Amino acid sequence: MDSLPTHDVTLVSRIASGDGDALAAAFDLYSPAVLGLLSRILKGRTEAEEVLQEVFLQVWTQADRFDPQRSSPRGWILMLARSRALDRVRRRDSSRRREEEVAVDASPAALRPVGTERLEAVERRRRVLSALGLLSPEQRDCIELAFFEGLTHTQIAERLKAPLGTVKSRILLGMNKLRQALSS
Amino acid sequence: MMTGPGAPTHDPRFEELLPAYALGALDGGELRELEEHLATGCDECRRQLALWQGDLEELAASVPPVEPSEATRRRILRLAGSAATARAAAPQRPARRTLRWALPIAAVLALAVWGGVRQARLVSEVGRLHAERERLEQQVAALDRELTVARADNERMAQALSIITAPGSRAVQLAGLGTTPDALGHTFIDTRGRRAIFYAFDLPALAPEKTYQLWWIAAGRPFSAGTFNVDPHGHARLQIDRVDDVDKIQAWAVTVEPAGGVPQPTGEMVLKG
Repeated sequence: MDSLPTHDVTLVSRIASGDGDALAAAFDLYSPAVLGLLSRILKGRTEAEEVLQEVFLQVWTQADRFDPQRSSPRGWILMLARSRALDRVRRRDSSRRREEEVAVDASPAALRPVGTERLEAVERRRRVLSALGLLSPEQRDCIELAFFEGLTHTQIAERLKAPLGTVKSRILLGMNKLRQALSS
Repeated sequence: MMTGPGAPTHDPRFEELLPAYALGALDGGELRELEEHLATGCDECRRQLALWQGDLEELAASVPPVEPSEATRRRILRLAGSAATARAAAPQRPARRTLRWALPIAAVLALAVWGGVRQARLVSEVGRLHAERERLEQQVAALDRELTVARADNERMAQALSIITAPGSRAVQLAGLGTTPDALGHTFIDTRGRRAIFYAFDLPALAPEKTYQLWWIAAGRPFSAGTFNVDPHGHARLQIDRVDDVDKIQAWAVTVEPAGGVPQPTGEMVLKG
């Protein structure tokens, strides 16, 4: 949960009250992160932009469902985006899915601010990337397969040809490491 | 935290399932058991789940950002603009009701319009490509027909030339008679190959139920060489692949007969030679 300025929370309540300017502001603020996530999950720019529009339509029509006690506006929108993108991935013909796994891009370019992105967001991303760096490659693979490809324990075990129990423990240990690194 | 006798009991064994549940990785019996437990309203599990979800929000934000295209931005802003317009168009409604009903509907309508326009563009593009393909197919078919006609013409000319230039070839000129005094005919006979070719000029077009019929007369008897009709210029051509008794032919003649031809000449004779 992040401690964003109340400005971000009021932005969502303004959207809920039908303020088009607030939607535009939220789009400018969050869309690069959302599109980055969508591109990562969908592995295609055109489809990612389509889903980006669906996500902001959902934000526009369901902003009143946002609960500031449960998540930040950014987190809420990102998780909406993830859910929509994974729905798309699941609907796709499995033969069309790319098999190769895309590693988290921790290159310096990835840490450069994009558009109106805030410096805090850049710093936060750097922190998560360094936390992910503490995980073993196997733990990171399992978490990324679940998070970015929507695979379950069983599917990850099949994909990696690893025992189910091993996959479960990699996810549990990896998530705990991530938690520790993020809260330190 | 719920308290009291009816409060759900926290079970620490579910805590280990929460990270995978937040990730969406849980399946099978574990998923079912955890969901049943969460459905009992265990506040501690819900609190921990929210924390895991917060971590995942961080993970989601760790992906390098990508700047959206200007077109996407414009569509979203248009969406917001159209909703604002819809709101302005319904000032008589109480504001809260307007926001609760008009905006989602306007947004959905705007998306539908946008989707419709996009769909229409795609449909129009597909239609254009279909039409283009059809046009090209027609063009190819027309060229194919022209080629076939040219080949057939070429073949006919080659055959005609072979008849006319064959050793021992004979030419017979037919003159117009009766109502067609200006008509003219030429028959070239390959006496060795027993083939002939006939050309007619300046014959009038006939009614559909009529046809011209070419005859050769040998030993005083007419033999049908076939029927023909003339083109808009009054021209015709008829090739005869088998001419019997070539040496006994006394004359060639053309008569007007019922469509399909007759075994013996019955109608007006228009050419003879």
